[in-house]
Amino acid sequence: MKIFRNPDVMWREEDEFKEQAYKGLGTGEDVAEIGTSILLHAGRMHSLNILGTEIWKLCDNRTIEEIVSALRQSFDVEEDVLREDVIEFLKNMKEEGLIHEE
Amino acid sequence: MKNELIPSSPLTVNWAITNKCNFGCSHCYSRSDTKEELSFDTVCGILDKLKKAKVFSVNFGGGEPLLRKDLLEIARCSADLGFAVSMNSNGFLIDRDMALKLKEAGFSKVGISIDSPRPEVHNKFRGIKGSHEKALSALVFLKGAGIETSISSVICKINIDDVDGLVEMALSSEVSNINFHNFKCSGLGFANKDILDLTPEEWRDFYIRAIELKKSVRNLRISLEDPIISQLGEKSNDTLVKGSVCGKLSLNIKSNGDITPCGFIPIVVGNICEDDLLVIWKNSPVLDKMRNKEPKGKCLSCESQSECLGGCTARTLALTGDMNNPDPHCWKK
Repeated sequence: MKIFRNPDVMWREEDEFKEQAYKGLGTGEDVAEIGTSILLHAGRMHSLNILGTEIWKLCDNRTIEEIVSALRQSFDVEEDVLREDVIEFLKNMKEEGLIHEE
Repeated sequence: MKNELIPSSPLTVNWAITNKCNFGCSHCYSRSDTKEELSFDTVCGILDKLKKAKVFSVNFGGGEPLLRKDLLEIARCSADLGFAVSMNSNGFLIDRDMALKLKEAGFSKVGISIDSPRPEVHNKFRGIKGSHEKALSALVFLKGAGIETSISSVICKINIDDVDGLVEMALSSEVSNINFHNFKCSGLGFANKDILDLTPEEWRDFYIRAIELKKSVRNLRISLEDPIISQLGEKSNDTLVKGSVCGKLSLNIKSNGDITPCGFIPIVVGNICEDDLLVIWKNSPVLDKMRNKEPKGKCLSCESQSECLGGCTARTLALTGDMNNPDPHCWKK
């Protein structure tokens, strides 16, 4: 099953916050609360943190395993933990109509 | 109180592309605004600037945007740059042919202003015979052309007893949205506030009914973008900011390029032709003040303050002269 972003979603990365989050990652800070992207769909606004943003960007005709594998190159997290996070995140995104599966 | 998220640039720009108008509405906020207009080339240059600033959407207003002869070309230019393009219109000039042209030019959404389900009330308020019928037919033509439609109604004395009727009209027009705008007291709205604006108690009763309708009506989104509804346990918007969204998620451009926080706040914070949008967005003392309002008076002890942040900044500023004051529409004692 491949994952795709909903093309109707308007989105952008927030460069300043992204830089701040990557800097924090480098020094071991908790960056989970820093929104590095904004999504707008059906009148609703969403903000994603650095991991959420990277997952979102990878929703371009990839399977969950391919997304997890790509993320492992950037994030030093155990594969099983990462997979769980990705699955949970994608479930929420699907419920919001932000992604779809084919 | 700092807001939890202020994006690096506006998500939406509302743009009074012309102040010419074929109507004479009693509550118009822009009748005394500048008549100066920017050239097509300047408009396209500004659109480039907005694109570089990563703005998502451009919403044209005015005045009546269709009185600008090159509106379709401007829309095409906007759509080609990837903006979501919308406008607010009185609908008088939208027939089947124009609706198709608007679709072709790239408009994805058009909102039509209708203040009452009763034609005679709307026509008198808007100052034009037959305008109600034209507005309703515009919605049919737009929908037929594949454009998402909405109705905008400014709530005031003329329609306060017709809220259910407005919703029924929206349902029968098959629009996706009806926006109940709070009365802002700007421009002619300020001059006519004593005969048009509601009392705080009337606002409370209106919002109680509107929230009931919002929760019970299917196939229609009812928007109530007024921060004071947090008094009733409701969120005023689906964004991540609290209080007014103006100056936090959106900006307004006047027909001469002047930038204001919203169409109802007459404070110019820069000019889009001359200034760097991102510098204004980040450094404007006025925007900073709007984003970090300091509660005063009854807001200091109000449990809803953290959601409402003092209510509508435009209205509060217009009626009290200090944006930090409690919203004059708030019914809390």
